[in-house]
Amino acid sequence: MAGTTANAPRGRRIRVLIAKIGLDGHDVGARVVARGLLDAGMEVIYTGLRRTPEQVVRAAIEEDVDWIGVSTLSGAHMTLLPKLRRLLDEQGASDIRILAGGIVPQEDVSALLGKGVAQVFLSGTSIAEIVDYLLAQTAHA
Amino acid sequence: MNDPKRPFPTDVKSQAERWREETFGPAAAGHPERKPFVTDVGIGIEPLYTPADLERVGFDYLRDAGFPGEYPYTRGDRPGMNRTDPFVVSAYSGFGDAEACNRRFRKLIEIGTEQILVALDLPTQCGYDSDHEMSTAEVGQVGVAIDTLADMELLFEGIPADSIKRIGTLGNSIGPIVLALYAALGEKQGIPWSRYTVNLQNDPLKEYIARGTQILPPEPAAKLATAAVAWCVEHAPHWSPMTVCVNHLNAGGAGSSMGTAIALANARHYLDLLLKEGYSIDQVAPLLHLFPDERHDFFVSIANLRALRRIWARLMKETYGATRPEAMACRTTVYGHGQEALAEPLNNIPRTAFGTLAYVLGGASYVYLAGYDEAVSTPNEDSARVALRTLQILAHEHGFTDTIDPLGGSYFIETLTAQVEKQVLEGMERIERTGGALAVIEGGFGRQVMTQGAVRRQRAIDSGERPWVTVNLWPQKPNVPNTAFRGDPKATERQLARLAQVKASRNRVDVEAALAEVDRATGAGENVVPSVLKAVRAYATVGEIVELWRKRFGSFAPSTEF
Repeated sequence: MAGTTANAPRGRRIRVLIAKIGLDGHDVGARVVARGLLDAGMEVIYTGLRRTPEQVVRAAIEEDVDWIGVSTLSGAHMTLLPKLRRLLDEQGASDIRILAGGIVPQEDVSALLGKGVAQVFLSGTSIAEIVDYLLAQTAHA
Repeated sequence: MNDPKRPFPTDVKSQAERWREETFGPAAAGHPERKPFVTDVGIGIEPLYTPADLERVGFDYLRDAGFPGEYPYTRGDRPGMNRTDPFVVSAYSGFGDAEACNRRFRKLIEIGTEQILVALDLPTQCGYDSDHEMSTAEVGQVGVAIDTLADMELLFEGIPADSIKRIGTLGNSIGPIVLALYAALGEKQGIPWSRYTVNLQNDPLKEYIARGTQILPPEPAAKLATAAVAWCVEHAPHWSPMTVCVNHLNAGGAGSSMGTAIALANARHYLDLLLKEGYSIDQVAPLLHLFPDERHDFFVSIANLRALRRIWARLMKETYGATRPEAMACRTTVYGHGQEALAEPLNNIPRTAFGTLAYVLGGASYVYLAGYDEAVSTPNEDSARVALRTLQILAHEHGFTDTIDPLGGSYFIETLTAQVEKQVLEGMERIERTGGALAVIEGGFGRQVMTQGAVRRQRAIDSGERPWVTVNLWPQKPNVPNTAFRGDPKATERQLARLAQVKASRNRVDVEAALAEVDRATGAGENVVPSVLKAVRAYATVGEIVELWRKRFGSFAPSTEF
């Protein structure tokens, strides 16, 4: 995939921050996605475990990313993701979009899409599907 | 098919080669291979195994297999295995608060559970009380919240500690605290330590690369974990206060052979610390259990358990000089999984049953089985019941448990056992060259192995190389049903109220004195369990004790590598 059009509109590579928020320590999915996006030519930063929404927002703004991909498996998504969105908006970073991945019940997916999360990918989604989504959505921005 | 002029080969090896060339080859030629016949651990699978394979791997029955309950324990850690001493039907369960969870435990015991391991919520596992800022949205989510001994009393109300075979929990980063909570629970119930059995996972080292509930830097964490083992040597030598895990390492990407090698390196690190304290290998090794794991390939799973017992026995005897059979016989706990999928979750019932059958055939001692909805959430009562019934069916129906090590002697299984053993031993050598268990964590080797493996697996699934029904064969859209278990806000409220009430009613002076003693013992390098026991008796919280250790040792540094 490297060498394809992993470019954001400003003519640079798509930049993604992969984040683990809260106490959930399972980060295999997060790391596999991070590696997959890197292999697809994107610039990827991983926060490491146990970050607060505040820390993630600070890192996202400092790193000037296009996307934050949050891996969520412990059931805390309905609290943590809307909070992340609110903090981003408050700090003038409304242009940074949020992608969630992991285990999210169907009705929560709809609720999150209404609360400023751009897309939710459930566990088992192929890397190619996520890459295609990011390429399409970032180009349309 | 034989050329009459050519002498008919009389040895198995030439006959097997002949069969492959003359009989199988032409038949196979018309059938393109369905898939690459390579296991997740990378061992290729032949179309047929014969005595020639045993010769190829140098199999010697008396040396490599032997007899159950005897060195090298390949065929079983116990003499009668499932025939006389069936595997223990176990449940891992926990959610919400102690009150809600107690009802589930009683139900599980009523329908035949013989061992309960308490699933703790993430704040408890990470050493935060329910009222801590970091606990927001996590109280009672993936397990039950335990802040003080009061929660334990409620959790086991009406469940005497000696009424089932074992009770326990994971508590990987808070080993001495959960040990003390279970010891104090017996005191509260008036049951002496000698009359019940506690099992802990208490294996912090794998957390840093696989499971993620680490609190302190690895070195002090390992020392605290071994304090729990040392205390049991003195006070409860029949407890199993440490279960060294392959499970999360394999699931995270290491693969079962490298995962086993890393787990054995971790076990060696704990054992070496205990030997340095002056304990003998015969005293401490019997208290360690192992938690093997292989969920991709049925036969590799059986081979892995058999190989693990052989490797452990030889390691204990030859490297450590163990003389007691209990120190050489490797007791195993397993958690039955398959390749569980999010789509059509009922299909996970056969998957987990097959995965667990492999462990039963491989001779595991303590057996758990994942709920069919576990890929999605904390199991609901229905799926917990199906998991338990599946274990009971495996134990009692179909004759699975009638004879010991039923697949021992199979050309395939013995060959595979030798091949897995070789992989594990090579992994152990590689780790030793790297610098041992701590170097695996700190030098990045562990994370590198894990990520590479996870990426390799993802590619194998995305490309279809690893078949997976409803994922890459007859694919279905994954779905997490709205009925999936979710944390109960009422349970969180109850938990916060109980914690506030305990804090208000306990004797502040006693708590502070007990905490000061924990801090002093920690600083002096003494075994912390006696002081932690005093603290939990005084209703000190998990978070208060952990905070002393955080202050003294600092926190782990999260890795941002991927």
